[in-house]
Amino acid sequence: MKNGENKKTNNPEFWKSLKEYYNDPEVLKAKANEFADGVTDDFDPSEMSRVSRRKFLALLSASAAFTATACSDYRDKGDVVPYNVRPEGVLPGKANYYASTCSGCSQSCGILVKTREGRPIKIDGNSDHPVNKGKTCAIGQASILNLYDPERLQQPIIDKRKSSWKKADTEIISALKESMAEKKEIALITHQTDSQTEKKVLDDFVAAYPNTKIYTYELFDSGNRYDGWKKAYGVTPLPSIMWDKANVILSLDADFLGNEGNYIEAMRKYSSRRDAVNNASFNRFYIAEAGLSLTGMSADYRFRLSPDLQLEFILSLLNEIVSNDPAMRTKLNSAAFDLIFRNSLEKFAEKSGLDYGKLVNLVIDFKNNAGKSIVYAGDKLSPDVHYAVNLFNYVLGNNNLYDYKSVFTNRLELSDNKDLKNLVESMNNGMVGAVIHYDTNPVYHFPPELDYAAALKNVKTSITLSELPNESIAASYYAVPINHYLESWGDSNPRVGIYSLKQPVVAPIFGTRQKESILLTWIIGKTEAYSEDIYHSYLMENFKDSVYDKTDSAATFNHFWNTALHDGIISIDESARPPVDFDMANINLLKPSTASGGFTVILNKNYYLGDGRFSNNGWLQETPHPVTKVAWDNYASIAPNTAKTLGVEFGDFVRIKVDERNVDLPVVVQPGLIENFVSVELGYGRENSGEVANGVGFNVNVLLQFNGKSKWIINNAEVAKTGESYELVSTQEHHALDDESVKDFHKIRGIIKEGTVSEYKKNPGFIKEHDHELFGITRGHEYNDVKWAMSIDLNKCTSCSACITACNVENNIPVVGKDQVGRGREMHWIRLDRYYSGTPEEPKVSNQPMLCQHCDNAPCENVCPVNATNHSPDGLNQMVYNRCVGTRYCANNCPYKVRRFNFYDFRDHFADAYYQNDLTDLTNNPEVTVRSRGVMEKCTFCVQRIMEARSESIKDGRKLKGSDVQTACQQVCPADAIVFGDVNEEGSEIQKYREHELGYHVLEELYVKPNVTYIAKLRNTHSSEDV
Amino acid sequence: MSGLDYTQEISVVEGQPSLREIEDLISKPLDSKPDKKYYIALAITMTMLGIGVIALGLSFYYGTGLWGNNNPVGWGFPIVNFVFWVGIGHAGTLISAILFLFRQKWRNGIARFAEGMTIFAVMTAGIFPLIHVGRPWLAGYLIPYPNQHSLWVNFTSPLLWDVFAVSTYLTVSFIFWYVGLIPDFATLRDRTTNKLKKIIYSTFSLGWRHSNRHWQHYEMVYLILAGFATPLVLSVHTIVSFDFAVSILPGWHTTIFPPYFVAGAVFSGFAMVQNVLIFIRKIFNYEHIITVDTLEKMNKIILLTGSMVGYAYAMEFFIAWYSGVQPEQFTFINRAFGPYTWAYWIMVSCNVIFPQLFWFKKIRTTIPVMFVIGVLVNVGMWFERFVITVTSLSRDYLPSSWAYYAPTLTDAGILIGSFGLFFTLLLLFTKTLPVVSIAEVKAVVKGSQPSHGDH
Repeated sequence: MKNGENKKTNNPEFWKSLKEYYNDPEVLKAKANEFADGVTDDFDPSEMSRVSRRKFLALLSASAAFTATACSDYRDKGDVVPYNVRPEGVLPGKANYYASTCSGCSQSCGILVKTREGRPIKIDGNSDHPVNKGKTCAIGQASILNLYDPERLQQPIIDKRKSSWKKADTEIISALKESMAEKKEIALITHQTDSQTEKKVLDDFVAAYPNTKIYTYELFDSGNRYDGWKKAYGVTPLPSIMWDKANVILSLDADFLGNEGNYIEAMRKYSSRRDAVNNASFNRFYIAEAGLSLTGMSADYRFRLSPDLQLEFILSLLNEIVSNDPAMRTKLNSAAFDLIFRNSLEKFAEKSGLDYGKLVNLVIDFKNNAGKSIVYAGDKLSPDVHYAVNLFNYVLGNNNLYDYKSVFTNRLELSDNKDLKNLVESMNNGMVGAVIHYDTNPVYHFPPELDYAAALKNVKTSITLSELPNESIAASYYAVPINHYLESWGDSNPRVGIYSLKQPVVAPIFGTRQKESILLTWIIGKTEAYSEDIYHSYLMENFKDSVYDKTDSAATFNHFWNTALHDGIISIDESARPPVDFDMANINLLKPSTASGGFTVILNKNYYLGDGRFSNNGWLQETPHPVTKVAWDNYASIAPNTAKTLGVEFGDFVRIKVDERNVDLPVVVQPGLIENFVSVELGYGRENSGEVANGVGFNVNVLLQFNGKSKWIINNAEVAKTGESYELVSTQEHHALDDESVKDFHKIRGIIKEGTVSEYKKNPGFIKEHDHELFGITRGHEYNDVKWAMSIDLNKCTSCSACITACNVENNIPVVGKDQVGRGREMHWIRLDRYYSGTPEEPKVSNQPMLCQHCDNAPCENVCPVNATNHSPDGLNQMVYNRCVGTRYCANNCPYKVRRFNFYDFRDHFADAYYQNDLTDLTNNPEVTVRSRGVMEKCTFCVQRIMEARSESIKDGRKLKGSDVQTACQQVCPADAIVFGDVNEEGSEIQKYREHELGYHVLEELYVKPNVTYIAKLRNTHSSEDV
Repeated sequence: MSGLDYTQEISVVEGQPSLREIEDLISKPLDSKPDKKYYIALAITMTMLGIGVIALGLSFYYGTGLWGNNNPVGWGFPIVNFVFWVGIGHAGTLISAILFLFRQKWRNGIARFAEGMTIFAVMTAGIFPLIHVGRPWLAGYLIPYPNQHSLWVNFTSPLLWDVFAVSTYLTVSFIFWYVGLIPDFATLRDRTTNKLKKIIYSTFSLGWRHSNRHWQHYEMVYLILAGFATPLVLSVHTIVSFDFAVSILPGWHTTIFPPYFVAGAVFSGFAMVQNVLIFIRKIFNYEHIITVDTLEKMNKIILLTGSMVGYAYAMEFFIAWYSGVQPEQFTFINRAFGPYTWAYWIMVSCNVIFPQLFWFKKIRTTIPVMFVIGVLVNVGMWFERFVITVTSLSRDYLPSSWAYYAPTLTDAGILIGSFGLFFTLLLLFTKTLPVVSIAEVKAVVKGSQPSHGDH
């Protein structure tokens, strides 16, 4: 209206029509009413839908939500039950560590078990433990998989039918009582435990059932070593060796870095004398062996020597030393002198074919290092050799290196052959009422001469206690399931004065009981006697009496006990008294063995399966053999020339015949072996032992020798080609060593750089002499803050493969199985490369752990079409699984070939998804993605640990330091060969390694700028041999 | 020999068929019902295709683990097949575009067919990059599309260049082929009495009326498209060769790859075109249109490109030695004398030795012999890609990671399937579209060109 009033003076500035311009009344009217008549009729609210705008939106979103859920692939993923009341000490997402003791082998290393929300996921070494000092081995690492093995026995089995504890206990107790009444023997067959409490339980059992006889055996034992020691010194406490104090080491067929004694401790001490970066003075290591062992690969000098000649060898050496040294001669009596004098080193060299010059050097080394050297004989050699070695060490004054502060405890005494023979005889005569296999598997382990399985059929009550199915379970009437060691209480006493405790870190997953509790129940003789705590309180009681009282600790026992459990270890001063004098009376018993015709066969312990008890562990089956790189099998290792004579190649069968027994084995042609010799590993060829173990490899226990100086060394064997062949799988191609076209590539290409100690002393920069200056044409990444890098000291690495299994556990690496290893699809993120140089007869071995090098100029990064692999600001080469399409271009372009592709969903590919089930899934580290099929993966430098350390540092408001992070492989490495840290941190350990003159990068000239620095290996050979 | 008159160009089409005769001849397969032989042929190719589909289905279900690929050898048969099929395609574009620009009239009889082959070969090839990845359902990640994750593709990766190169190639080849077909669609439309066919042909002929104006525009468009397609002949296989050349793998990291791959592609493509045309001309009585003379000219190109490939083989060896890089030297020695020596010598004999027989005119013009050589060339070129891809990967820098690659039945099934797909498409092509360009052949019949003589 306002406009209408001033129509002449106030024309609108904007007009839509002339009518508007002239302020036509009609237009003005229309303008005043926004809606024309009739237009708004439809908008009568009462006639409209009742659905309000709010309601409409609500319905819309609800239906969208319904549609979305209906369309999504919703599977029942199981119940999620949150904590109603949070258990004490458990913080979701935060790991708890509990101290315990590893039961993987008889060495009882102290461990810390990492648990997440109540489930154990990783085993680390306990650094407070005085023997293993925070380190473990491959077996210890992988033993966690046994806890989650889906085939574990879950309840007692009576005559192949599942039963209950009540029924089993009742029946067994009455059977035991019946045996007592009938005056029949109860045979309890056990391993050599070092647990004082367990021994007491066994004693109690004998007290309760006096007809009981305890039999003890090991497939591989140190009986010969103990015998040799006893003959020499009369007393049995066996000291450990101060490897770190030895300037010269001579090993006679002893795999002390691989699988004899406490190799964790030996590796640490040995490698501390191989530390070029920290200026250690190198030891010189000689080995005389028939096969090529893990230990032999590290030796400066290898003498290829038949086990028969070892005694003569040591006596000849002794003669050479003593004959010119009157002072030492006085230590010998005349009988000893006469015996030794009959041996001459020169004649020996002629006989054995060893290089006399090198033997003379060895003698000189010993003379110069009397009292600071050590000779160490292998467990398999006869007591005679051990006796002679003890004599040698005694004469040279090497007794200094026996560590009487760390003395092996006496384990349960081994039953001798006569005992076992008598047992079988009484079993056959019906004199044995009950047999208890106390976590043992004699049906598989006993030598065939005993024919134990047949004898067992004559026993009325046969009982086997075991975690997993095995041959003895199959042959027994009662199968009694026992706890995994992570579910158990226990103790062990590996060295005098060292008590290592075992505590359950998880409640028994199945209806199993711990083996000691089962015996205690039977001792009491009432099924109701069992309680979950029965052994726990027994253990505490025993500790109170036998350990606590010795400590004169001011704390109460409860306090003492809790501290002990927390630390996992109790050390008390019980050090043994050094033995007085060498008993030379037994010298006359030494008889040089007669030369054998035919083949010599040595039966070895497998590095990862032990005596076969880990055959159902996929991670261990898949860890490649450190020397041959064969996985998932055992085989006959034969020297190249012998193989030529036999007319066999890799994978061809040979028949090994000893007396009436024979076994067919596929051949691995192994450089560095003596001729007419076969080396075989036991622990394979299992039956009735689970999906993973069954049918893997060959059972060679038939060759075990019952009579003779050594169970494991067999002479006069016949070996012949059968004409058939077999598929062995290995992770490294077996190139013929004499194939000129591929010879020494590792040296030509700068993969392995090495030299000798004297070369290094003369010219510390010798490995870099031929380096060129490299330059790039692209702008590099800038690392302003932390930059991660690793260093691996090849002087220290022994190729023990602990890093491989530690990485498997930490990073959820799947088991792929034999067929996939055969196709080159193993998934290990870190592998151990082994290269030979020299001749097939006298190979030099170089080992190299190979993992993602996290290159600055990573060639994998620029070829990924989707940026799934890229570079982090702290120098990590990252892998984004979600983004990965799987073109595999990155793997092709990686010069180190460390990328691993999931060709299948390896979770469910192996053995019909053996490892994919609700139970085994619990093994997985929740911090690491489980990779699906079609995805590339590789070493991440344990990025989950880096992220954890980073968030800790942010929480604490401090700068992240390189030393805050330890990768899994670094943490486990028994040789301390791996260093990890921040290169930008001034004065850090890693800087020292990176800048060391022995540090080099593999394939440097490609200018991919890798971040793993290898410290070149130095061989401590005599300077006179330098070229 | 002395009787030849070099001043006179030999007629492309033998005899002097009338234009109507040409039309009748070329459209005969489209007018007649397929015979028994056709169905037998189709049954065979469809079976092959079926084998491939099953093999592929299994691979999708279980994973790429069914193939022979392993840890050092990340690329196996699928990539070999990809490069092989892309290479086959090249002859088509070369014949239709480059020879067109060079005014090589003898190409007119074979251009259509060769172009069709290009499209089918590229389609076949295009399957492989998709299926060879570990997670084919995510292959879309290779396309740069804006997304809320701010994820972008990596333009430094040759695989990404491949995506663009191959898709561009397929698109351009298809358009070029279709534009060439328009006048023929019109001819067919005019001839047919079948209603349905009439509708289809009318639709695709886009209202073509053979008017002078249409021809003028057509010629210009065709020329431009030919000019556009020409660089693609060179670029596509150049980029495919970058998949290898850009890497740092000895045996792949070679600057000679782009020209060498292009020559190889033309080489194998011509052999394939020659092979198939030998059948086509016989079955459809096109002997006068696709003459022995045309085939001979193709054989000459096979001889030329075969020699170029042979030169490249020699030069690779020379450069490997000359570079002084040990891994590089070893790769080539290993190719010739290592575990894959059989593959290498199949490659050399098929690609370098046998094509040299084409120096003899007698062999160039004897159909059974040239057919056999053509087959051998394709076998050899498939093995060339195999040798390049597999031998280099199986033994690279670190001897510790070396491993032998052996293909599986699934690999073979997919390879058979790719041939099945290619030939099925070809067979369908022969019965649905004129395999020889009616318009272009009419243009080269003797007497159809304006001549000075009559004026």
